[in-house]
Amino acid sequence: MKMQISINILKIKRTEIKLFEFKDVKAIYLNIMHKEEGNIEPEFMKRLGTNPFRTPDGYFDSIEDRIMEKIQLPEKKKSTSAGILRILKPVLGIAAMLALVFLLVNNPFTKNTVNTEVSSALTPSVKDDSTFNFSLIDESTLVNAIFSNEKSTVADINPDEMLAYLSSGLNEVEIYSEIQK
Amino acid sequence: MTNDQQILDCLKDPSTKEQAFRHLISKYKERLYWHIRKIVLNHDDTDDVLQNTFIKIWNGLDSFRAESSLFTWLYRIATNESITFLNQRKRKMMSSLTDENEYLVNNLESDTYFDGDHWQLLLQQAIAILPDKQRIVFNMKYFDEIKYEEMSEILETSVGALKASYHHAVKKVEEYVKSHETRLD
Repeated sequence: MKMQISINILKIKRTEIKLFEFKDVKAIYLNIMHKEEGNIEPEFMKRLGTNPFRTPDGYFDSIEDRIMEKIQLPEKKKSTSAGILRILKPVLGIAAMLALVFLLVNNPFTKNTVNTEVSSALTPSVKDDSTFNFSLIDESTLVNAIFSNEKSTVADINPDEMLAYLSSGLNEVEIYSEIQK
Repeated sequence: MTNDQQILDCLKDPSTKEQAFRHLISKYKERLYWHIRKIVLNHDDTDDVLQNTFIKIWNGLDSFRAESSLFTWLYRIATNESITFLNQRKRKMMSSLTDENEYLVNNLESDTYFDGDHWQLLLQQAIAILPDKQRIVFNMKYFDEIKYEEMSEILETSVGALKASYHHAVKKVEEYVKSHETRLD
């Protein structure tokens, strides 16, 4: 009797081994899941086990390099442009100052009296703007006068925008005429 | 550096950030690739989306919160990138297509890196015409074998809703296959 039972066990084991050898792993998994979770996969889905999709040979080998290259590219660009700006900043600053001094020296303003009130300096009653003596106006008044028609104050202006503006290729006369507008 | 926590710690240090990110790519590239591939189907599209996903991950490292696992966070970004990509493509192609999911079926048929037999092609076609949400749930459950609880975190949807989506998806896939299999037999 014992002998008979052990032979039967061996038979079962052989069958199971065969099953695991030839049946699709996916199908076995689905059968287990079906019992455990009351899953509802229809029969045909159990026939499909292997991944039908593939990738080009060696695709995964180089992916890190390609992604890191893409990540580093914008950062390099950013740092290069920041570097150029850092070099140009003092040069542009000096150029702007020289341009301002040049303007003040080379434009003889003859009118000696200017009201301290900026609004009155820019009112239509002033007939000839070119006769102002700007040297008599203090710096903050001058700045206010220049920007009084604009909504934003000087403090709102980004220094980079200011630099970009100053370096936009205008000559002294053009800058002067821009200020006068 | 195989542990997620180790990778995250190294990502916080500027001197080890790049190296740690390489490790992160190495660890998750295949899983994310296959997740994306099942959504967009075509290899070339998958490659684009995968690269965008990793770039998004890199740019969003500072916003990663430790409440969710790294794996969940990466899967969520990959899923969102895939859906965004598909929506963009569908919008572009809509003028020439009668059905927006026709794009996916065409994508599958034109993919040179698809080696499936008739049954696998039929299954993929059936999956391709599912609504986006059902398709993603079906792929994650059937192919990636992700647990509902984990899926719930990734897709930010309740387990009950996910089970319902999967149930509907399976029914639709079954109907599609039944109505088309006679042609194959």
